[in-house]
Amino acid sequence: MSTNENDEVPANRASASDEILSNRTSEGRWQVEFPFEWDADDLVSRRQLLRWSVWASGALFASTGILAALSFTRERRRGNRAAIVKASEVPVGEAHYFTYPGPEDHAVLLHLREGRFVAFSNKCTHLSCAVYWSKERGRLLCPCHAGVFHPETGDVLAGPPPRPLPRIELHEEDGMLYAVSESLT
Amino acid sequence: MTGPIHGAGGVAPPPPTAPPPGHLGLVMLGLSMGIVLMAIQLWLLTLAFNLYLLGDRRGTVVAAIVSGLVFLGGLAMLRVLRWTSRRR
Repeated sequence: MSTNENDEVPANRASASDEILSNRTSEGRWQVEFPFEWDADDLVSRRQLLRWSVWASGALFASTGILAALSFTRERRRGNRAAIVKASEVPVGEAHYFTYPGPEDHAVLLHLREGRFVAFSNKCTHLSCAVYWSKERGRLLCPCHAGVFHPETGDVLAGPPPRPLPRIELHEEDGMLYAVSESLT
Repeated sequence: MTGPIHGAGGVAPPPPTAPPPGHLGLVMLGLSMGIVLMAIQLWLLTLAFNLYLLGDRRGTVVAAIVSGLVFLGGLAMLRVLRWTSRRR
């Protein structure tokens, strides 16, 4: 819209503006240029606000109820059996990164002690950053916001993550490690 | 916008739904309680979402029930206010 278009004010609009301006002091004239529903604001009574807040409360209840209903349909485990790596290829104290259950779902396998393997999704439960194994600290770390996870259980030890890392059930057969399922709890 | 303008220099019309004398406190109490309880409900929703992602079905249901009770309390408060208004 060009400047010339703005300069041409219709006659009826100009008279309405004059009427408004006659009821105002000069401090309030800016409101002619930036009109808003001044009178409608006054119509919102306390009781009406209370009524709206109760309906908003109903909406919040409905949202929580939907989550509760969805929790009955949500699978607690997912994924099929898939080979990860030969157990002999992961030395004690080292980690092996793989994907499970899908090609985009990154996970980490840890060889904690002799013959003791654990695996977790390495997506941080805070904001989904990639969690990595810190051999020096003996912890799973999230570099984004300094989240720290226990390598045995996946529990949160420090930082903002609200939940433990999802655990991946393992099965060893003929020296090969298999991921069986990912537990969401 | 052609109605009476108040604020800077104008004349304010009387509020159309002013509470009856002595009733303002009750409305304000209900309003402030409603806002506090709504904040609690918002917190319950975030809690329920966390519990849902955690797979805690029982916790999610409990959060929904508590949220529902708060909502019912709000509805009851509205009814009480309406009832007391009619009595006056």
